[in-house]
Amino acid sequence: MNNHQPVNIIMIEDDEGHARLIEKNIRRAGISNDIHHFRDGTSALEYLHEAPDGPTHNGPALILLDLNLPDMTGTDILTRIKADGNPLKRTPVVVLTTTDDKIEIQRCYDLGCNVYITKPVNYESFADAIRQLGLFLSVIQVPDLPEANG
Amino acid sequence: MSLKHVAVPDAWFNRLVIGGVALGFLALLATGLAAYQSVRENQFHSSRVNHSIKVEQAIADFLAARDRAELGRRGYLLTGIAAHAETYYDARKRLFPLLARIRDLTRDNPRQQANVARLSALTQSDLPFMDRSVALVRSGRRDEGVRLFRDSVGRRAITVLRAQAAVMINEEDRLLAIRDAATAGSIRLFYVTVAAAGAMLLLVGAGSIWVITGYTRSLAASRDVLRLLNTDLEGAVRERTTDLQRANDEIQRFAYIVSHDLRSPLVNVMGFTSELESAAQRLRAMMDKVDAEAPHLADKDARIAANEDLPEAIRFIRTSTEKMDRLINAILRLSREGRRQITPEKLDMNAVFRGIADTHRHQLDEKEVDFSIASRLPSIVSDRLAIEQILGNIVENAIKYMLPGRRGRIEIRGRIEGARAIFEIADNGRGVEARDHERIFDLFRRSGVQDQPGEGIGLAHTRALAYRLSGTISVDSELGRGATFRINLPVILVVEQEA
Repeated sequence: MNNHQPVNIIMIEDDEGHARLIEKNIRRAGISNDIHHFRDGTSALEYLHEAPDGPTHNGPALILLDLNLPDMTGTDILTRIKADGNPLKRTPVVVLTTTDDKIEIQRCYDLGCNVYITKPVNYESFADAIRQLGLFLSVIQVPDLPEANG
Repeated sequence: MSLKHVAVPDAWFNRLVIGGVALGFLALLATGLAAYQSVRENQFHSSRVNHSIKVEQAIADFLAARDRAELGRRGYLLTGIAAHAETYYDARKRLFPLLARIRDLTRDNPRQQANVARLSALTQSDLPFMDRSVALVRSGRRDEGVRLFRDSVGRRAITVLRAQAAVMINEEDRLLAIRDAATAGSIRLFYVTVAAAGAMLLLVGAGSIWVITGYTRSLAASRDVLRLLNTDLEGAVRERTTDLQRANDEIQRFAYIVSHDLRSPLVNVMGFTSELESAAQRLRAMMDKVDAEAPHLADKDARIAANEDLPEAIRFIRTSTEKMDRLINAILRLSREGRRQITPEKLDMNAVFRGIADTHRHQLDEKEVDFSIASRLPSIVSDRLAIEQILGNIVENAIKYMLPGRRGRIEIRGRIEGARAIFEIADNGRGVEARDHERIFDLFRRSGVQDQPGEGIGLAHTRALAYRLSGTISVDSELGRGATFRINLPVILVVEQEA
């Protein structure tokens, strides 16, 4: 498995503040990968599937997904990405949301979410979680996409 | 259709029916009385008629005896045969008893008494002549006797007597006619009474039937309306229940969404407050550096801002957001509890309370609180988790609000009352003021001195749970005298299948 192409981080988060905090903490953890931020599901899905520099056509990616989006729920996006035949099926998805409802968490895992992180209101734990995610990002192997493989 | 519309005026109806029945009975009574009266009258009249006939008979007997005496006298005067004289004396001695009998029989009739007296006088005036004529023949002076006889014939004594008797018989006949008429009258009265009573009975019967038919009809109508209302009621109850269920679901959903959406900005407030804090820290370090290396650059206001104002502001923001987070979590927990599936199972309450005591063993030991559970508490069928949360919460409060300086004591009691099980958790802690007995079960409300940490969520949660288990919870307490929390639960919880 090769990993010469840098992993793009795609963050789908409608809350500007959350996005900023997540980005700050990822950077603090020493992760310098590109972060593409989208505020709604539609543009994020378009980028994921259509954009020439998007993950479908250009290199591996990791998706940070918030469940509460203005135009669709995060689970809708998750369902689309993890659907059979989708080239992004194996792309890791980290769900990052305020919901700590057991049923919601189960549902996300059932749909193929790889990691589920609850955003704690307590900032220290939040920063910790993100930093650990950053550490996690630095060691995980992201599968190459079929196209990128060729 | 309204019930009022078909309501039967009961008082009016009752009075009517009672009146009708009473009237019917009166009519029957009147008929009976009339019959009795007329029979009595009839008897009386019959006896009077008999009496008249007896009187007439007696008069006839008297006349016969008088004729027989005359016959004997004449035969003796003609033939002088002693047997005729015997006949005379025989008939003659019967005359006065017969007269006495007539007098007796007509004692009630002054007119007949007068007639009898006259008859008696006539007889008495005749008899001496007759006696003498018979005595003259017996002593052989037959001619003198015959002369005397002619005299009496000349006085027409017999004819006068007969006429007098006829007067009496006429009088009796007149009475007889009157009595017959009276009898006929009484019989006629009887018939009239019976006819009137019959007509009245018929009338009352017809009236009763009419009223009862009407009443039955209106009863049937009101029964139909009731049945309709009843059917409607079931529908209405079902509808309301569905509405209520829907409203409840909506509130749950609302609480859930609100708490989530409130949390989101809170993450930002907390996050950026921390960012601010670390920035302030850097500023403070900078100020320290400036103080050390170039004190003339240090501004007093800038120093105060960096060292005091900023940390203070950040501290307040942080404590407030933390509190808000706890409140939101509480709402979230309540809403989640409302949606949790209730699964009743058999619970050994002694074991449940022992488990709670074990959970709180550390606090109990630390505060030196005696925890006693009554032996053989009633077992119930309910949701284990909810019961443990309710009781755990109350026990925790009891431990939390013990009075310092008094040996703490918590007692658990339980009993069955009908289909309900009642558990009491009594402590000797600081107690709750009477005005707060209801308030402490409200969300975010607390009572007494605020010297213990908490958000005023526990008891609200407890009560919500108790309601879900078809139970109630209340407190009995006096300030400084401890509190007794009473939980009333169904012995067997039946979960309504939610549609």
